[in-house]
Amino acid sequence: MERRRVGWLTLMALCAPAMLAPATVFCEDPAASPAGPPPDASELLESFDDLYRSTGTIAEFEITIEKPNKTRTMEAKSWSQGEEKALIVIESPQRDAGTATLKVGNNLWNYLPKISRTIRVPPAMMMSSWMGSDLTNDDLVKESSYEDDYDAEDAVWSDDPPGWLVALRPKPDVPGLWGRLEVVFEPERLLPVVARYYDRKDRLARTMILDEVESVGGRVIPTRMTVIDEQEEGERTVLLYNDVEWNVDLDDSRFSLASLERRR
Amino acid sequence: MASVSTIRIAWRNLGRNPKRTAFALTAIGIGQFAFLFTAALLNGYADQFLDAVTGPLVGHIQIHAPEWREERSVELTVRDLEGVLEAVRSVDGVANAAPRVYAPALVARGSEGFMGVLVGVSESAETYRAGLFPGGAPTPLGDHRSVVGRSYATRYGVSTGDTLALVGQDVDGAIASGLFSIDEIVASKVDVVNNQGVVVSLDDAQEFLYLGDEAHEIVVHVANSGMLESVLSRLRDLPELEGYEVMPWWEISPIMASFVELMDHYLGIFLFIVIIAAAAGIANTMLMSTFERRHQFGMLLALGATPGRLVRMIMVEAVVLGQLGVALGTAVGLAFVGLTARSGIDYASLAGSAEQYEIAFQGMQLSSIVFPSITVGDVLTGALAVFGVSLLAVIWPSLHIAHLEPMEVLRS
Repeated sequence: MERRRVGWLTLMALCAPAMLAPATVFCEDPAASPAGPPPDASELLESFDDLYRSTGTIAEFEITIEKPNKTRTMEAKSWSQGEEKALIVIESPQRDAGTATLKVGNNLWNYLPKISRTIRVPPAMMMSSWMGSDLTNDDLVKESSYEDDYDAEDAVWSDDPPGWLVALRPKPDVPGLWGRLEVVFEPERLLPVVARYYDRKDRLARTMILDEVESVGGRVIPTRMTVIDEQEEGERTVLLYNDVEWNVDLDDSRFSLASLERRR
Repeated sequence: MASVSTIRIAWRNLGRNPKRTAFALTAIGIGQFAFLFTAALLNGYADQFLDAVTGPLVGHIQIHAPEWREERSVELTVRDLEGVLEAVRSVDGVANAAPRVYAPALVARGSEGFMGVLVGVSESAETYRAGLFPGGAPTPLGDHRSVVGRSYATRYGVSTGDTLALVGQDVDGAIASGLFSIDEIVASKVDVVNNQGVVVSLDDAQEFLYLGDEAHEIVVHVANSGMLESVLSRLRDLPELEGYEVMPWWEISPIMASFVELMDHYLGIFLFIVIIAAAAGIANTMLMSTFERRHQFGMLLALGATPGRLVRMIMVEAVVLGQLGVALGTAVGLAFVGLTARSGIDYASLAGSAEQYEIAFQGMQLSSIVFPSITVGDVLTGALAVFGVSLLAVIWPSLHIAHLEPMEVLRS
C-alpha cells in the first residue's frame, strides 16, 4: 500500500483561484480550433462526474491489474446511488470472492470474508490503492467531484488527442487530491477520452484512457477505462464494464454495514 | 634533557608569583576539564548510537533482494530462506542471522482501521543478545499470536488480550487478511516495532502474505566488530547470496555513520578551545616571568650559562605549568565521570521532566539517558595538546633570551 501515491494529504492549492482569472487573458484564442467555439468547462466536468452515475446504478465489470511479472483479473458487481452511496462486491476469483467495499457519504468500509470483519478505511488511506490496482479508494467511490472540488480553466483545443482540454487545479479547502489535472473531451459527443493526473511535484503520475464507447443499458459511455501508472514501468489497470443498468430503484438498506456482513 | 635540578628550579620559579601561576593553572585546568567533559558526553552518545544501530534494527550486516529497501514491495524477497540462512550461519565470524518479513497493513481492533506494519520474525534468532527479544521472546509466537509495540498500543488504545484484524496486500497483489491476538506489549529499541509494529512469527507472516520460504531482510551480527570486514567479504562470496544485496551498517545507515564521525570533529573544536586556553595561560605567564627576570638571566649569562640552558629552563617551566594544569583538569574530569558513569545523565530530569523519554531517530529508539565515559586516549590527547602549546608558547621568550646582551641588561 505504500507505493508512490501522491496528492492525498491536505494541501493548499498551488495557485490561488484568484490567479486563474488574469491567467485566462494569456490563453490562446480558442476559436482557432476546427470544431468551433469551446464548450463550457463546467458543463463538461459535470457530465464527466455523472458519466457512470444515476439514481440507482447496477454494474458488472472486470478489473485486470497488470504488473511487470503478473496479471490478475477480478470480476465484480457494484450498486450505487447518486454520489452518496456505493457497494462493490468481488465475485471472482475464489480467493477474493466476497470481499466488499461500501461507501456511504465520506465513509468507506472494507468487508473481508476470510475473517468476517468490516473495517473502516481511515481517511488517510483514501488515496491508497484499491485492491492492489492502480485505482485509488477514492476513484472507486468517487468521493471527489471534478465539478465541485476543482477550479477549471476554460476549455482549449488540444491536438493530442484531438479534443477539448480542460485544465484543473484542486480547490484550496479540498483534501487529498492531485496537484493538477488535464482532461480531454472528444468533440463529437463531448465524452472524456483522456485524463492526466499530475502529482504535487507536477510530475505526470497517471493517465486514464476512456475508450470503447458503446451504448450500455441505454446510455452511451466509454466501457473501458485504462489507468496507466506513469511512474512505474509496466503497471496498469483496466476496468471493463460488461453490463450496466441505470436508474434502478435500489433499497437503502443495501448500503449498510449489516447488509455488508450478511453477504455470502 | 631536563635534569632534576632544572625541574626544581622551574618549580621554584613558578612559585615566585603564586597568583599568576594559579591563574594559569586554572585556565589550563578548566580547558582540560571542558575537553574531557565533552569527550565523555560524546563518547556516551556515540556508544548509544553505535549500540542502537548495530543492535536489533540494523545489525552489523544486512541481506536484501535488490531494490527492496527503496520499493518495499512484498514480492522482493530473499528466496530459499532455509538454504541461505544455513550458508550464512556457517560463515566464520557470524554470530547470528535473523530473517524478517515486513508488510504494511491496515489494522483494526473493532471497526476503526489504522496504519501498522506486520513484522514476521524468527523467535529463536531474535533471542540473541542483540536481537529484538534479547534473552527470550516475551511470549511464544506462532498460531496467530502477536506482540505489539508499546507506543503503538498506547496510541491506538489496544491491549493484551485484544484481537486485531490485519488487512494487507499479499505477494500476488490480492487482499490479505487475518486475525491475530495481542499476547504481549513490548517497549522495543526498534522504532518500527515500538511505534507501528505487530510482531508475529515468521511462519504466520509468510502465510498471511502467501509467501513461500522467503524473507525481506536478514540481519546478521558478527562475533566482534573487528571481524566485520572479513565476514562481509566472505558473505559476498557465498554462491547462495548471489544477486542479493549484502551491506554493512554504515551503508544502510550512512546518516548514523556520519553522525558518529561528526562527534569526532565536534570534539576537535573543543580541543581547539583547550589549546587556546592553555596558550593564553602559559604564554602570558612565561612572557611576563621572562621579562621580569631579564636581570637574572643577564647575570647567569655573564657567569657562563649558555642561552640554550636558559631556554631549556623556561621550556621546562612551561611544560610543568601546562601538565600541572592538565592534571588538575583531569582530576576534576575523572571525578565527574566517576560520579555519573554508572547511573548516566538523564536529560529529561535536567529539563525538569519527571519521566525518562525516548526519541525515535533514524528508526532507533534513543533514550534520554546518556552514559559518559572517558578513555586514556582522551586524557592523553589533552595532555599532548597542552604539551605542544607549552613548547610553542616559549618561542618568543626564548628568542628574547637568545638575543640578550648581558652587559646591556646588567647596566640598565
